[in-house]
Amino acid sequence: MNYVQLEKLGEGTYATVFKGRSRTTNEIVALKEIHLDAEEGTPSTAIREISLMKELKHVNIVRLYDVIHTETKLILIFEYCERDLKRYMDVHGDRGALDPITVRSFMYQLLKGTAFCHENRVLHRDLKPQNLLINKKGELKLGDFGLARAFGVPVNTFSNEVVTLWYRAPDVLMGSRTYNTSIDVWSCGCIFAEMISGVPLFRGRDNQDQLLHIMRIIGTPDERVLRKIQSEGQTEGTNPPKQYPRYPKIPFSQVLPKASPQALDLLERLLQFDPSKRITAADALSHPYFTGSVPLGLPAPAPGSMAPPAYNYPHPHAHQQQQISQQQQQQQAHAHAQAQAQAQAQAAYLQAQAGMGHVPGGMSSGQPTAAYSSSRDHQLYQQQQAQAQAQAMMAQQAHMQAGQSQYGMQYPQQYPAGPV
Amino acid sequence: MSTSLYPLASLPQIEKTPSREDGIPGDLEEDLRAYGCKLIHEAGILLKQKQVAVATAQILFQRFWFATSMKQFGIGDIGMGALYLASKLEECPVRIRDLVNVYDLLLQRKAHIRAQAVASSLASTSSSTPSWSELKYTPMSYFGNTFYDLKEAVVVAEMQILKRLGFNLTVVLPYNTLVNYLRVLGLTSREDVCTKAWGYLNDAPSVEARLQTPVYALYSVPTIVCAAILLTTRHLGIALPSAPENCWWELFDAEWEDLSSVCGWIMRLYRERSLEDHTRVMGMVAKKGVRQWLEEHRSVGGEVR
Repeated sequence: MNYVQLEKLGEGTYATVFKGRSRTTNEIVALKEIHLDAEEGTPSTAIREISLMKELKHVNIVRLYDVIHTETKLILIFEYCERDLKRYMDVHGDRGALDPITVRSFMYQLLKGTAFCHENRVLHRDLKPQNLLINKKGELKLGDFGLARAFGVPVNTFSNEVVTLWYRAPDVLMGSRTYNTSIDVWSCGCIFAEMISGVPLFRGRDNQDQLLHIMRIIGTPDERVLRKIQSEGQTEGTNPPKQYPRYPKIPFSQVLPKASPQALDLLERLLQFDPSKRITAADALSHPYFTGSVPLGLPAPAPGSMAPPAYNYPHPHAHQQQQISQQQQQQQAHAHAQAQAQAQAQAAYLQAQAGMGHVPGGMSSGQPTAAYSSSRDHQLYQQQQAQAQAQAMMAQQAHMQAGQSQYGMQYPQQYPAGPV
Repeated sequence: MSTSLYPLASLPQIEKTPSREDGIPGDLEEDLRAYGCKLIHEAGILLKQKQVAVATAQILFQRFWFATSMKQFGIGDIGMGALYLASKLEECPVRIRDLVNVYDLLLQRKAHIRAQAVASSLASTSSSTPSWSELKYTPMSYFGNTFYDLKEAVVVAEMQILKRLGFNLTVVLPYNTLVNYLRVLGLTSREDVCTKAWGYLNDAPSVEARLQTPVYALYSVPTIVCAAILLTTRHLGIALPSAPENCWWELFDAEWEDLSSVCGWIMRLYRERSLEDHTRVMGMVAKKGVRQWLEEHRSVGGEVR
């Protein structure tokens, strides 16, 4: 095998994950080993994960580099990330709660990755902190596509045994099989609230209890909405409509006193009971929470100089072009650039750490953060980001070339040249 | 929106399929593909499987033969594997045991029909009355070797499909597109049009729907749907704007040459076939039969006829 297997990182229901190192590039990767079952054949989770992830190339989605198929097992080679969001919150948070700058950065990246999936007609269906991976650079990436599926228009009927209970949308809890992208948006909302407060927002014991937990906070929707959602969940026979206790809505400002008004407004739009009312991931990205002029209690910047969100990646295709020119420049001083990028990434990491380290003392405390103390620093930071990305891309391209010859795709790759 | 989220066969793959490279003539390959799809369809009905899963299985089956030769794998095994895999993809999994039992029944039935056909052709020469007997189906034993061998074959076939298609499993079915196009053309009120076009998408009269031709691995969905509408409207004598610069199919980005080619593929299924044509494929469900056929036909001057 082209990879050295290092220590075990974790064990799931159907796979074991190891840290690994490439023999050719020395790059650290994650190796996910799936044992092939003689009873059931290839696990459907693995089939989904491979067939969907190999086409999803985006900074905010864990990259699948290669697949090794042997008689007894299937090894998926993934981009390596240090830890998942759950662990990150435990380590860096104040009793799990992250500071507003980090929350906004992570939220932006989460929505960006989700929007990219949806744009490519993929539902993730299992978004939760454990499935979001954070690397050293502070990049957040969607991982574990074992429950994901491609969808067409209109959507077929799907299994409703999806999404870990606490992050499951109310329409799915009520049995809907015709859900769509809004199911992931709900999970994003739950994660958003969890990053702000440090604890999961709705913690039900079972399906029914989960629904009640949700209603106790966002209120029981009116009869018409309930009936509409229930009719979509109808399987066989017409069960009499279930009666739900009528809870009033509790304003999110009471549930999450620390959150800014704009954060609360976004949360409100993400956590709509009626799936048709839920904001799309793409629209959420242009919400004032990300673009607004009063950023999280920081001193208001001069008009026009508002810094974009911490991880503002350009459109994937534009990004590609930009990187081509960068690549050409870099080829001249490749070794130099590499050393530089490493040092810079480290510096960026330290800066980010410093920024994330401070305990947020409520929204009004106008503490400037180390990472963005001046716009010049910010520009520098963006440059570092772009350079580090270009580096990563070149490594990945080398990977893909090696991977393709090894794996021998039988079908022509007719997918549009996606973002790399 | 990009139309090609699903892979199509490349020109070299079409010009010389792996089976033809191995000396299997084009018409035999075509018949075997159609027969394999028919088996998938019949198994799907017996398993009460959803039509989406069956159609997906048939498309994966067709793609597979652009990557692999029929000398290497049998259409029976790959058909089972494709149906098993498609059922997982469409979230309506089947039990391996049910699948194996259904295929075993189907194959026994086909073997019986073939034996009868051979017997009757012999009988006709000796001028005695042909006697058709009922099939006496004997189910396989629960823990017998037959079952374990077939189960193993399903698992292997599934893995081979995944491997040889490089996990390119996205399948786009044409039905939604057909409904949209018929709506745009204002034809939804004509029930006969809808039924007939739907039937052509499945390449057969609606009673025995099946996706038997490789068109789904060759052409984009809009082109196939346009061809089905073209055939339907021509048969029913419905006039649609077809003069150059004003052709209705151009509205859906289809090309005339592609349309006529897809129509050709579909209509070929309706041509008159001899009894021998029908029965010869039944003996070649496994690769053993194909290899034997190749052996028999090679003897003439070392060249495959």
